[in-house]
Amino acid sequence: MTRNLLVLSLALAALAVASVAGATNAGTPGVSSSTITIGSSGPLTGEAAAAAGVLRGADAYFKYVNARGGVNGRKIDFKYLDDAYDPSKTVQNVRELIQQDNVFALFAVVGTGSNLAIRDFTNASGIPQVFSASGATTLGRDYAKYPWTIGYLPPYSEEGQIYARHILATNGKKAKIAVLYQSDDYGKDMLAGFRKGLGAKKNLIVQTVGYDPTASDVQSQVAQLKASGANTFAIFAFGKFAIQSFVYANKLGWKPQIYVNDVASASSIMKLDPQGTAEGSISVLWGKDPATPKFAQDPGVKLAATIIKKYVSGGNPSDGFLVAGMAEGFTFVHALKQAGKNLTRKGLMTAVTHLDEANNPFLVPGVKVHTTPTQRYPISAVQLQRWHAGHWVPFGAVQSAKP
Amino acid sequence: MANFIQQVVSGLASGGIYGALALAIVLIHRATGVLNFAQGEMATLSAFVCWSLIDHGWAFWPAFGATIFLSFAGGVVLEQTVIRPIQNGPLLGIVILTIGLLIAINGLTTWVWGGAAKQFHGPFSTAPINVGGVAFSKQDIGVIAISVVSVVLIGLLFTRTKLGLGLRAAAANPTEARLVGVRVPGMLALGWGLAAVLGAVAGVMAAPSLFLEPNMMQTVLLYAFAAAVLGGMDSPVGAVIGGLVLGVLLNLVGTYVHWVGGELRLAVALAVILGVLLIRPAGLFGRTAVRRV
Repeated sequence: MTRNLLVLSLALAALAVASVAGATNAGTPGVSSSTITIGSSGPLTGEAAAAAGVLRGADAYFKYVNARGGVNGRKIDFKYLDDAYDPSKTVQNVRELIQQDNVFALFAVVGTGSNLAIRDFTNASGIPQVFSASGATTLGRDYAKYPWTIGYLPPYSEEGQIYARHILATNGKKAKIAVLYQSDDYGKDMLAGFRKGLGAKKNLIVQTVGYDPTASDVQSQVAQLKASGANTFAIFAFGKFAIQSFVYANKLGWKPQIYVNDVASASSIMKLDPQGTAEGSISVLWGKDPATPKFAQDPGVKLAATIIKKYVSGGNPSDGFLVAGMAEGFTFVHALKQAGKNLTRKGLMTAVTHLDEANNPFLVPGVKVHTTPTQRYPISAVQLQRWHAGHWVPFGAVQSAKP
Repeated sequence: MANFIQQVVSGLASGGIYGALALAIVLIHRATGVLNFAQGEMATLSAFVCWSLIDHGWAFWPAFGATIFLSFAGGVVLEQTVIRPIQNGPLLGIVILTIGLLIAINGLTTWVWGGAAKQFHGPFSTAPINVGGVAFSKQDIGVIAISVVSVVLIGLLFTRTKLGLGLRAAAANPTEARLVGVRVPGMLALGWGLAAVLGAVAGVMAAPSLFLEPNMMQTVLLYAFAAAVLGGMDSPVGAVIGGLVLGVLLNLVGTYVHWVGGELRLAVALAVILGVLLIRPAGLFGRTAVRRV
């Protein structure tokens, strides 16, 4: 009985504290006269930890903006938690961010699985889940059901089609394609687009093999794909699994033409490949890769390097994930400005679906951020790039990745 | 056919790593009666230590030797400081403690070295050797050879030396061991030290092919448990053979059983654990405990 009383009084005390906290920011949660609190979740640890650069880069950009007076007089307070690329942890993190930290919006949550795991909750609660660090096609397509969610990256299904078109154009007659894909929404999305892009020539694919993202390695899968006799190898993987694919292909003496998807192809990851199996690999880019010599003198990349030096402790200025995060941060700040001084969650959603941004210094020239209430893929153009002598070299024109 | 042999060869290479870690688990179990859930993380920590030494300009073999030494010391210190105070408590308490250690060591490695995957240059070349359409590398052979050498050394230690007899006695019956003059606490510390050394071997062998990051051995640990159960929890030979069999089995099932594919391999490992426990609880090489009542 006494214990019940204790629990009850604790609960009441908590309620009282919560209502006091709520009362301080009149109206919009997470927004006070001086700050905007936003939250995120991503793999700060684990096999996909490289992608945490997106959050660190965005955070650094916000600190840079804060030091210059913030947005409409408010400073951005960005809280991001570790989920080790495990969607069930993302759900816990997001509940914590919303219920304890009272965030205004979720920004750049990393990973397809993670974003899909939380969007029922965010949409039921009316909390903006903006510029997800994922290219899941559904994030831009299913806005009628999930109006509070919007992605950022080019849709994976389109990326898959772009690789398919490149194969058809360069080796349509002789290509025999093997595909390694991550067996979840992310990898399957890419694979479906790839198949669609091949169209009538779908039978060029001689074998597809999936892997579970909790696996330790993909050695057996790569051996199986090699045995299919393929001369073209599409890697729709993530983080260390992509690098393992290169290393194992080399170990098996297999030298196919490799296609590797955008999120697995950061220069910092590609450089881990010891034997240069990666030479000649093809991927796409939309954000400026600081490790690409072409952008060495680029003002956007130089700005990024300055920001990294000042605000990311131990940050590597040639880490493409950091720059991608800054690109997202730039667009978010742009949307906040557009949403105006009287900031509301609805106002933010209106702003993010009416963007016309041509001046993002962190995006490849020709790639613009453009959204309307029915065109919800902020980045919908990419350029092809080829790995040569230890770095990516962009080639060809910027092409549409709009579904 | 070439694919079949290729999968067997790759499976043996993966299985060598599972076996080495299983051997460490079996060793602690045999020497102290504890199932050590932190074994994988201890292995990862050792691999990070080795990586750091190499990163500071050491050659591989001296770095590996130093890592072995540090791991042994670390294992002994761990037993003395963390395990010893609750040594006489319930076994369950110690097992839970090793789970705590798993989390703590994982946090430590992430804090010190960061979460991103690192490249680890092993001592063996990964250049392909092609024999009749089947490719393998010196690395694969090295991993299997080191597992086999480890098991032979451990086997000799346990069966041919007085120290090994003392280790076995301390685990089997601490009270009587003490009565005949075995220094039981020292034996337990030694058991942890040796297991840490085997973990270090497993971690350093795994790192070049799995890529070094704090969670590197977590899935491998599950495979190692499956291997240890398959081989028999108290059989060092069984642990290594169990690892090799499991590595090959997972590859073949993943390749030829289509509904398993690349995705359900972990489930196969768990099915192996369950199956062995149901059909032959002592494992392939374990001895069934018989007690007169």
